Amino acid sequence: MFLGVDIGSSSSKAVILNNQREVLSTAVINTGTGTRGPEKAVATALEQAELITSDIEYTVVTGYGRITYDKADRQITEISCHGRGAFFLAPQAKTIIDIGGQDAKIIRLDNNGRIENFVMNEKCAAGTGRFLEVMARILDCGIGELSDLSLRTTKELAISSTCTVFAESEVISQLAAGAAKEDVAQGAHRSVANRIAGLAARIGVRQKVVMTGGVALNASMVACLAQEIGHEITVLPMSQVVGALGAALYAVES
Amino acid sequence: MEPKKTSKDLLSDLLTKHYEEAAEAKKNGEIVAWSTSIAPQELLETLDIKVVYPENHSAAIGARKCAQEFIDQAEGDSYSNDLCSYARVNVGYMTIQESVAGNIPLPDVLFCCNNICNTVIKWYENIAKELNIPMILFDMPFNHEYEVSENNVRYIRGQFESAIKQLEGISGKKFDRDRFKKVMGISSETAKWWKKSTSLAIAKPSPLNGFDMFNYMATIVCMRGKQEGLDLFKLWAEELQEKIDRKEGPWKDQEEKYRIMWDGIACWPHLGNTYKVLKKYGINMVTSTYPDSWKIVYENDDLDGMARAYSSNYVNRNLDFGTDNIVNLVNDFSLDGIVFHSNRSCKLMDFRQYEVQRKVQARTGIPSVIFDGDQTDPRAFSLAQYETRIQALVEMMEQNKRKDA
Amino acid sequence: MKHLLSLIAELETAALNPIKTLKKTMDTSKKSAVGCFPYYTPDELVYAAGFIPVGLWGGQTDIKLADTYLQSFCCSIMRENMEQGMRGQYDFLSAIIIPTYCDTLKCICENWKVAVPQVPLIPMVYPQNRKIQAGIDYLVSEYKRVQEILEDLSGEKVTEESLASSFALYEEYRKAMREFTAMAVHYPITINAKTRQLIIKAAYFMDKKDYVPQLQELCRSLSALPYEKFAGKKVVMTGIMAEPAGLLDIFVQNNVAVAADDLADSSRQFRLESSRGNTVYEKMACRIADQCGCSLLFDAEKERGQLLVDLVKDTGSDGIVVAMMKFCDPEEFDYPIYKKELEAANIPILYLEIEQKMDSLEQIRTRVQSFIEMLG
Repeated sequence: MFLGVDIGSSSSKAVILNNQREVLSTAVINTGTGTRGPEKAVATALEQAELITSDIEYTVVTGYGRITYDKADRQITEISCHGRGAFFLAPQAKTIIDIGGQDAKIIRLDNNGRIENFVMNEKCAAGTGRFLEVMARILDCGIGELSDLSLRTTKELAISSTCTVFAESEVISQLAAGAAKEDVAQGAHRSVANRIAGLAARIGVRQKVVMTGGVALNASMVACLAQEIGHEITVLPMSQVVGALGAALYAVES
Repeated sequence: MEPKKTSKDLLSDLLTKHYEEAAEAKKNGEIVAWSTSIAPQELLETLDIKVVYPENHSAAIGARKCAQEFIDQAEGDSYSNDLCSYARVNVGYMTIQESVAGNIPLPDVLFCCNNICNTVIKWYENIAKELNIPMILFDMPFNHEYEVSENNVRYIRGQFESAIKQLEGISGKKFDRDRFKKVMGISSETAKWWKKSTSLAIAKPSPLNGFDMFNYMATIVCMRGKQEGLDLFKLWAEELQEKIDRKEGPWKDQEEKYRIMWDGIACWPHLGNTYKVLKKYGINMVTSTYPDSWKIVYENDDLDGMARAYSSNYVNRNLDFGTDNIVNLVNDFSLDGIVFHSNRSCKLMDFRQYEVQRKVQARTGIPSVIFDGDQTDPRAFSLAQYETRIQALVEMMEQNKRKDA
Repeated sequence: MKHLLSLIAELETAALNPIKTLKKTMDTSKKSAVGCFPYYTPDELVYAAGFIPVGLWGGQTDIKLADTYLQSFCCSIMRENMEQGMRGQYDFLSAIIIPTYCDTLKCICENWKVAVPQVPLIPMVYPQNRKIQAGIDYLVSEYKRVQEILEDLSGEKVTEESLASSFALYEEYRKAMREFTAMAVHYPITINAKTRQLIIKAAYFMDKKDYVPQLQELCRSLSALPYEKFAGKKVVMTGIMAEPAGLLDIFVQNNVAVAADDLADSSRQFRLESSRGNTVYEKMACRIADQCGCSLLFDAEKERGQLLVDLVKDTGSDGIVVAMMKFCDPEEFDYPIYKKELEAANIPILYLEIEQKMDSLEQIRTRVQSFIEMLG
């Protein structure tokens, strides 16, 4: 059996495969590097697959916390792992958009599923899940509700600031001036979509476009993004664990 | 009898004609130049080479609120969002070549003068490379001393001579020195009248309405060497004087309550909003550092004088000169306060702003505020921040008024 | 081998302890030092006037005081220089030369007069129209103007002999640097990415008359070894500088060797040999006129792209690493142009946005690792 572990800054994921590359179990824990999240993710995955630690032949770790994780046989970056995992789930995938809580990345694959190019934004909250969290807080709702709210928009409302801090004050002013919550919610989605589209333009978008990461579960976000990049987007199943899946696949191949 | 045209009408006509002539020239296979805004256009005018000014064009695109499309194009082509937004818009336009704000033909030669900044050198280098066309550079050494030095004048003059040869080669025409003399005469005169008109805002209340000066700037850029440009500024001066004689202020419906200087260029995409907030409080922008920057005045046929004049604008001078410049404006125009636009696109102005603010404050005692904005990128501005800061300025100016009373 | 390693260690130590090295240089030579801002300064003139020219290329100090003068979107080299100047770290210098190559430098020059008044400032303008005769004449006049100021400071005149011998020394230094970098391509293990940069950097804090023989000795020792077989990736670096130091550690940890560079603080300083000019001033000015592919010097042909393609091909490298100094407008303008040329030549590019002080290098580590994984 083969284990892939993806340790992010705010969540830990694990995937176990057998040597026919069948997924035996997956686990997602909402704490990341520096906590017991990675341990718990592995433990949960093992339990679900009814396995014990010694059943694992090879482990590959990826993600921000991979450097300090000492229980793996090898560490590979999340770019390669996301690419690997996405290609496995969707062999036609040429462009992968991954929007996480704190970062965003776009990966281009060639016809053989190898990484052709990539671009990342990990410095700026705009264009990541964090931006939506900030907006949700202002609108006094959860992320799930933010998505629902945005679907009920009736008027186009632009949040023009690229800086999250500026955008906050912009939105507060708009609400104070009587703007509808639904329109603001949609504006927030459009803002993130614009940022991602801009990032993607730098390396070019090619069909088929797939999306991974936590924000992919936000249907409104996906629709908005598809509009901005001008291509259909397929949300991959198991979108949150694509990185760990890729790591596990690398483990099988080792 | 036809009613006499106002300077505003004339302004609009001249700009339309300016763009039409360039388009026509390009269609007829004549060469067209792109030039920076304070460049020795006398040379182009003498050779009758049509020219358009990308800065004017980018500003117009910004004011029409359609800059985003061009910025997205440029950033998609890997231009950093740290770079001047005039450049990003222009580079994006070179690919898209279509705008509701009007179109400009692509150039055959570039005319680049870095007295306004060194960014234009890099911007124009890229255009030259992309279009494979010649680039004529006028390098105006930064004046770290108070006055423009003799060495600098000699170097600039040498570049004028070199450029004339280059232009003769490119245009296939002979440079007519007599025509040049005439053009120099008109250009210098037009610049004098630009200064005269804008100086009429010294009157209290000022006949100049807020951002009006920014609108006329387009023509001091592109009409300097033409008789029609000279006529326009004479007309404008006449109108302003008439307003002063009638004791008319900037607005029909409101009194001019506070007089300020606006440091930096306008926030074109947010022109309406930035203007409305000022007007709400009765704040009139009566001057800026731009009038003097186009005061390209020199004696007839004095190439050294012309070299010196082109090197003398505000941003190409040292901090001491700059501070004196603004202190003089504070006194001459009876200013109550200053609004500093920390323009994300303009590092040459921004990285001296804090010290200039302190020095002017120390010497004049008048209050000022700094706000974050951008000349053409609509995203780098927060109306909430701007309003708060203007309000704060009003409170400080009000305090001063009460103190003086 | 042991001898070679100790020579290397000596130069690395010198580079890692700039102030100590400089102070030692000043003590031994009994000379004072003149600070030289980026990017090109008349070092030969400074040396002929009896001073040690020391490069001031920023640092790793926390920014506090510089915020009084500069918004946050100012490039980190200048912010760092400003900060260090305001903290008095340059007070021991006899003077500082600030040339005005970019808009930021113009402002720094002006702010410096107010913020760091305790060290004499020598502003200088290098002509952008450097190739025409008027430009060469102008630069010569600037050299002469600066020479007079240096003479006032030292109390001594610069003779023709001292100028000639100083220029000859610097030509020798540049030649030695070219030989070293050409040789280092074949020894990516002994002269790894970090060692290479440190050896180059050491020269900034030493008297060239001591540095050159040390480097030549190192090269002699190195040439006795057989060429090294290397399983890692070779890259060409381009940008202002290969900083922060942690970046080079990441290269070494990931078996990435720097085969050649187009960095402002490295090869751009010495890749060009003097080839024309009647007087020393003209020779110096012509070197500036003939330089190509530098973002800070006007170049309508934009030859940097071709220069990079050639460097990659000549060294058999696997790709280009762009060390993009954040907020550096000239570098940011060059990028889209040379990027296209590199892509047309199928050369992979790794784009890294760097600042001098970077508290977290994890993001760089991920990108470097991903790049290697991508190269396969």
